Amino acid sequence: MTKFRRIDPEISRRTFVNYSLGVAAGVSALSFITIVGSARPVSRQTPDKLPPAEGDILVYAEGTNTGKPVDIGTLEPNPTRAYPQRKTKSGETILKKGEQDSNLVLISKFPEGQLKAPTNLQAAPQGIVVYGAVCQHLGCQVNWKNQDQTYLCPCHSGNYDPKAGCKVIGGPPPRPLPQLPVRVEGTQLVVTGTYLIPPYGVSEEEYEQYKQLAEEATKA
Amino acid sequence: MNQWLDERLNISRLNDKFLRKAFPVHHSYFLGEITLFSLIILILTGIFLALFYEPSQQLVANPLDPKGTQVPAAFASVIQINGLPYGDMLRRIHHWSANIMMGAAVIHMMRIYFTGSYKKPREINWWIGVLLLVFTALTALTGYSLPYDNYAYTTLKVIYGIAGSIPWVGDFIAQLAFAGQFPGDRLIPRMYGYHIMLLPGVLLGLTAAHMLLMIKQKHTQPGYAKRIAYKKIVGVPLLQDQSFIMVMLGLLLLGIIMLFSAFIPVHPVEFYGPPSNQTPPIKPDWYFLWIFGILAILPSTLEFNILGGTFNSEFLGGVLGAGLIVLIFLAVPLLDRTSGREMHYYSENPTDHPVRLGLGIAMTALLLVLSVAGYKPEIVNAGVLTNENANPVFWIASVAVPVIAYFLTIGIVRMIRWLRAADERDQRAAAAADD
Repeated sequence: MTKFRRIDPEISRRTFVNYSLGVAAGVSALSFITIVGSARPVSRQTPDKLPPAEGDILVYAEGTNTGKPVDIGTLEPNPTRAYPQRKTKSGETILKKGEQDSNLVLISKFPEGQLKAPTNLQAAPQGIVVYGAVCQHLGCQVNWKNQDQTYLCPCHSGNYDPKAGCKVIGGPPPRPLPQLPVRVEGTQLVVTGTYLIPPYGVSEEEYEQYKQLAEEATKA
Repeated sequence: MNQWLDERLNISRLNDKFLRKAFPVHHSYFLGEITLFSLIILILTGIFLALFYEPSQQLVANPLDPKGTQVPAAFASVIQINGLPYGDMLRRIHHWSANIMMGAAVIHMMRIYFTGSYKKPREINWWIGVLLLVFTALTALTGYSLPYDNYAYTTLKVIYGIAGSIPWVGDFIAQLAFAGQFPGDRLIPRMYGYHIMLLPGVLLGLTAAHMLLMIKQKHTQPGYAKRIAYKKIVGVPLLQDQSFIMVMLGLLLLGIIMLFSAFIPVHPVEFYGPPSNQTPPIKPDWYFLWIFGILAILPSTLEFNILGGTFNSEFLGGVLGAGLIVLIFLAVPLLDRTSGREMHYYSENPTDHPVRLGLGIAMTALLLVLSVAGYKPEIVNAGVLTNENANPVFWIASVAVPVIAYFLTIGIVRMIRWLRAADERDQRAAAAADD
């Protein structure tokens, strides 16, 4: 009678199957992650996304004069919406709407004596103040509230006082709206530098980089 | 024909196994069915709408004003759907069904909670149910954005902002979910893919699991079943008693939704217009209002940094706060220490479990207070509160109202039980006197 002696293989069937399953699952999961990653498209830096910079001309963002330079004679406290427009050295004009339309600005003109600190008065000729229109809270565009002559964000009622540097007078925004320094040239408004404080979507740490980007934009 | 099918598919076995399932007869057991029927109406109307909707942000001529400024194709196609025979009606039915599905799901969940039906062995179905609620809300949210009018656009922007507020990875996650920097060219195709493929797929899968587990584990029996036939399953069979009730309920629901849709317009895209630089005042749908409320009353000064990650009020309120509430819902079967001990067959009388009842009512009260806080701007404008005292008032209310609701519930339950005991005493005394 032969005696059957079972010899243990180096690796049991169960262990082998478990390992091979694990490896197959791991490889397919890894490749799946790369597919998911591609769901986020690459963002391309194009000239129209650059920050407003020195030399840009402010042009109407809406209405019948869309794309034409803002005429300072028509300005009033109720703000005019505008975008900065760049004329490159090669003579091309680029409408700089910015990332997420972040370059939309509000131009209000108040009687000169009404503007007070912390408004940067050098950057506000003839009582004309220019502010980024994008609320610092969650990126909605703010509206005019005629009742008390302030800017009000309809999304979560962030309230800004345009006569006092757009400081926050109500609601959740963490920072004032960014002021854009301008000067008057003829009847037009010309930007003299980028936003004085970081706009929505730019943190304090990224602000230096943002200013550098604006610097580069002036060379185009 | 029955025989022909039976010989080939053995349908008598299907009949024995599934179609004779006993359904308890109690009106509160219709809430889940209403949710399911709303889902079916949503899918049917959704298919029709998908045939005409164009998921694209390409600028095309405005159908209302062909010579005027161009509008996104998605917006234009919704205007065209409105122009179809019954097109606007179908949009409204779709929208109303979504609201009713959420409402029925919430009340269905309350029924399960207050009667303790989440207890062993039904914990898994409770978890699936909470997930269904979350995914229903997400599906509604993505559907909301599809008309791509000014309202939807602004809402999307806010949601993008909240997603982006997650520390460290926020920007990446927001861009991953919304196809790049807002508003990327592929934003609407992405939302469309979520709304008609991904999320309904998840919903259908979870619903199937929900139903199968319910059939496997059987309904909890309503209290009267205990008195009629203890430890026996009481109810009417699916085929044909319950199915008649179901069809009636479904048709009645459809009728009511159509009545609502005919007289109460929802989301008038023509009124909101295409995305523009003018921001309309936005409010989320009622089931997101509590998150909106948290955001409205959190001070912006609440912002701190840990290891380079910024924790701001949007993250704390919109992501962490909302996530915490969902986690509490998921944890219910684990928090209830009586849940894992024994098999649970009968729906419990809520008054026999005053603490659970009180906590449930306190949570409902909290969500209601937060939802009212969502109306802060209107309340401030109406002069009831001022900008300065609104936040403290809502903070105090969101603690005080749930606490008061809890103790009030406990008090009322105690009174009910005292009256019930007194009744029993009286009956016993009367019975003794009769003898």
